[in-house]
Amino acid sequence: MREIADLAIDVAVSSGATYADCRVVQRGIQAMTVKDGRFAEVSSFEDEGMGIRAIVDGAWGFASVDRLDSDSLRDAARLACRIARASARLRRQPVRLASAPVATGEYVTPMERDPFEVSLEEKMDLLIRTDEAMAAVAGVTTHEASLEFVREHRLFASSEGSLVDQVIVESGGGLDATATSDDDVQTRSFPNSFGRHQLCAGYEAIAAMDLAGNASRIASEAVALLSAPPCPTGRMTLILDGTQAALQVHESCGHPVELDRVRGDEAAYAGTSFLTPDLLGRFRYGSEQVTITADATTPGGLGTFGWDDEGVAAQRTVLVDRGVFRGYMSSRETAAEYGWTSTGAMRAESWNRIPLIRMTNVNLEPGDSSLEEMIAGTEHGVYLETNRSWSIDDRRLNFQFGTQNGWEIRDGKRLRLVKNALYAGRTPEFWRSCDAVAGPSEWRPWGVVNCGKGQPAQVIHVGHGAAPCRFRHASVTAAS
Amino acid sequence: MISPTSPDDLLALADSILERVGRDGAEVTVVHHEEALTRFARNQIHQNVAESSRRIRLRLMGDKQVGVAEIRGEVDDLQGRLIAAAEAARELAPDGEVTPLPRPDAGPDGPVAHSPATAACTPEWRAGQVGTVAAVSGVAGFEAFGALQTSLTQTAIANSQGVRRHAATTAASLICVARGENGWGYADRHHHDIRRLDAEQVAQEAVETCGRNQQATALDPGVYPVVLSPCAVADLVGHLADLGFSALAHQEHRSFMRPGERLMSQLVSIADDAGHPDAMPFPFDDEGVSTRGVSCIEEGVCRSFLHDSATALREDVPSTGHALPMPNTFGPCARHLVVASGESSIDDLIAACDHGLYVTRFWYVRDVHPLRTVITGMTRDGTFLIENGRLGRPVRDLRFTQSIVDALSDVRGVGRERSIELDESERALLVPALALGSFTFTS
Repeated sequence: MREIADLAIDVAVSSGATYADCRVVQRGIQAMTVKDGRFAEVSSFEDEGMGIRAIVDGAWGFASVDRLDSDSLRDAARLACRIARASARLRRQPVRLASAPVATGEYVTPMERDPFEVSLEEKMDLLIRTDEAMAAVAGVTTHEASLEFVREHRLFASSEGSLVDQVIVESGGGLDATATSDDDVQTRSFPNSFGRHQLCAGYEAIAAMDLAGNASRIASEAVALLSAPPCPTGRMTLILDGTQAALQVHESCGHPVELDRVRGDEAAYAGTSFLTPDLLGRFRYGSEQVTITADATTPGGLGTFGWDDEGVAAQRTVLVDRGVFRGYMSSRETAAEYGWTSTGAMRAESWNRIPLIRMTNVNLEPGDSSLEEMIAGTEHGVYLETNRSWSIDDRRLNFQFGTQNGWEIRDGKRLRLVKNALYAGRTPEFWRSCDAVAGPSEWRPWGVVNCGKGQPAQVIHVGHGAAPCRFRHASVTAAS
Repeated sequence: MISPTSPDDLLALADSILERVGRDGAEVTVVHHEEALTRFARNQIHQNVAESSRRIRLRLMGDKQVGVAEIRGEVDDLQGRLIAAAEAARELAPDGEVTPLPRPDAGPDGPVAHSPATAACTPEWRAGQVGTVAAVSGVAGFEAFGALQTSLTQTAIANSQGVRRHAATTAASLICVARGENGWGYADRHHHDIRRLDAEQVAQEAVETCGRNQQATALDPGVYPVVLSPCAVADLVGHLADLGFSALAHQEHRSFMRPGERLMSQLVSIADDAGHPDAMPFPFDDEGVSTRGVSCIEEGVCRSFLHDSATALREDVPSTGHALPMPNTFGPCARHLVVASGESSIDDLIAACDHGLYVTRFWYVRDVHPLRTVITGMTRDGTFLIENGRLGRPVRDLRFTQSIVDALSDVRGVGRERSIELDESERALLVPALALGSFTFTS
């Protein structure tokens, strides 16, 4: 891999690049699904290629290729430089990169049990037992269980002398149970929606999920939701489970602190941000209970690595400190514009895409409450679990989320199961109403596997540490 | 963009893999993809990329087991590794329902949306077009943001039953957002032929909308008549199709469709027509089955579902050629949605509205209640009050939460001009503007 990177960078520099970096990526994915006791799929995906990024005449060019012979590498490096020259025709100021230490080293995801060493028989046995447990619940119409494992070997090298070699391993799994009636469809998922929960970890992460042990309970909830009343409507206390809190953080804090959005780089597609630099250090984003960090060193986090895709070391950045907006996720280019250093958040989907500022692990730091205490301290409200619907405007202010499951709370106790729950609000007002976050014992790293951004589109895996949290006077309703 | 191969080369590669597998129950798909995209912000190019890749997928089937392997990249001993991985997956897969591979159906490998000009587009040409956009925007005192994208995709599918299909398709897109001091405006064009994207015209349209969309003021949420641009209509129709046009959704009792029942206005007809010359035509699906035109909604009445081989087998009907790569749990998918045009210009639709809203673009549209086709999302980049049949003041972006079926049950007018629009999943739809009697904005 190193020879590939060296050749591509040498050609780029000799073709006029004042800076070049190269990523060589080998990725393997193993996926399996069992559905309704009659559908089974086992698949593997291997992926290999190289992407080179070059600055020529003060502008960026990028080319990628899946053929790693020397002629193809040279062609790709020259094409990146040609593209950069074309970019320079419409560039007022040259690209500047914030300084960063030359990076060298290796990183491998810590794990107890390599998922690619676990037999396919063991994995399929788990899925079959999980599927059968859901099938045994009367009233369930479709049920599905799946696993996915990713092993990505990526080498980054730059014309500045950086050379880092990383192996990232991910393990994910989940189940969905759906119950239908003549006029209703209800789905419950576990541990998370979007097909699965995923971590940078080995097979021990799958074992900890206990998919088979939770299958019957989750399927029973799907059936029960068919006859459940709709979620109550009005202003009330809202408690989110850890998975929904994670998505709330993702959409209303993770995206608006991406500094490329602030600059307008994503204005035509993903949007901009209400968190402009003039608000740094003085804007009350949330309550005193709310501290949010971007931490690429979180153990098990789906955004955990050794270095980002610009060779900047993994680090922890405070974004919101006890409610006050404090920081951004940045790249070397965006940081330079403000005289800062990069916070190490440049990530690419694979070798064929340029790195963009992406979330690492954007974590809601644990508080000192507990779910039990939060419910006990609620006179009237709802406890909502597992995302079903999510939408937010292009500045990340106006949001509406729906969840699969809800529990109406009266006088400090769970009263009954409710369905079709929606809640809506505006980001700062909502986070300012947060009066409790559960403590470390209920705090988990959650994985989001469908985060989209950029053109061409990139879907990347990001992490969010979160625990149940409570909001007062939230706007809650039911979809109808 | 220079193609290093041809569809015939890809088919020959697929044949050679089939020969090496040497048994029944095998399907090979080879896709070569070349893509380039020039992205601009603040009237400057800030990202500019090119990709070249080839994916080979092998599906191996036994009586009760199926395994799939896919490789992107020129790895060592590619064929051997592909076959070994697929065999291993198949051998270890548990017994399940296996849908037989399709047989050749004698369908033609055309029409196909393909343009040599798009395939040959260069970085310098793209930069020139973006320069035109920036110049138009700059003259107006605005900043332009957006992307110009071109692609060439060559696909070959062959299976052990004798299916042998291949086609090469191109696509080009220009999207542009203009920013003024106090507002934004959007415009886009999509076509398989890059020569049909008039950069100056797109920029002018974005600039005009932006100029009109300055100093937007708040509007109370509520139920309003709306005129939706084709871009906004594409989001509604794309979601509607995903919520109910698939035979799998019907078989699993999660589709809103009730065949034979009128659920929408007589002005609404929606088909999936892969042969329509203006709808980015492509002749076959991911199993190599010829894609047939299917009328899903005909004058407001629910008609037919889209099938792949698996859903077709369950109902003992032929596949309509709407398969995604098989096997999958998603089911058949609409890829060439066409909404019937009407007789009105957009100006006519606006003129017929006493008091309502014009929506340029929706954003972040998501399902809320799938069976009732309730979705939510935001307006963006140009929302205007319609007063006494004219576009009035701009209003701040609004959130809607609305049943698509309910919205399409009260159609006041349909545009006569249709354009190709992309929904969020980058699927091309051929759609007109629509005037709807009521649309619920919630915040």
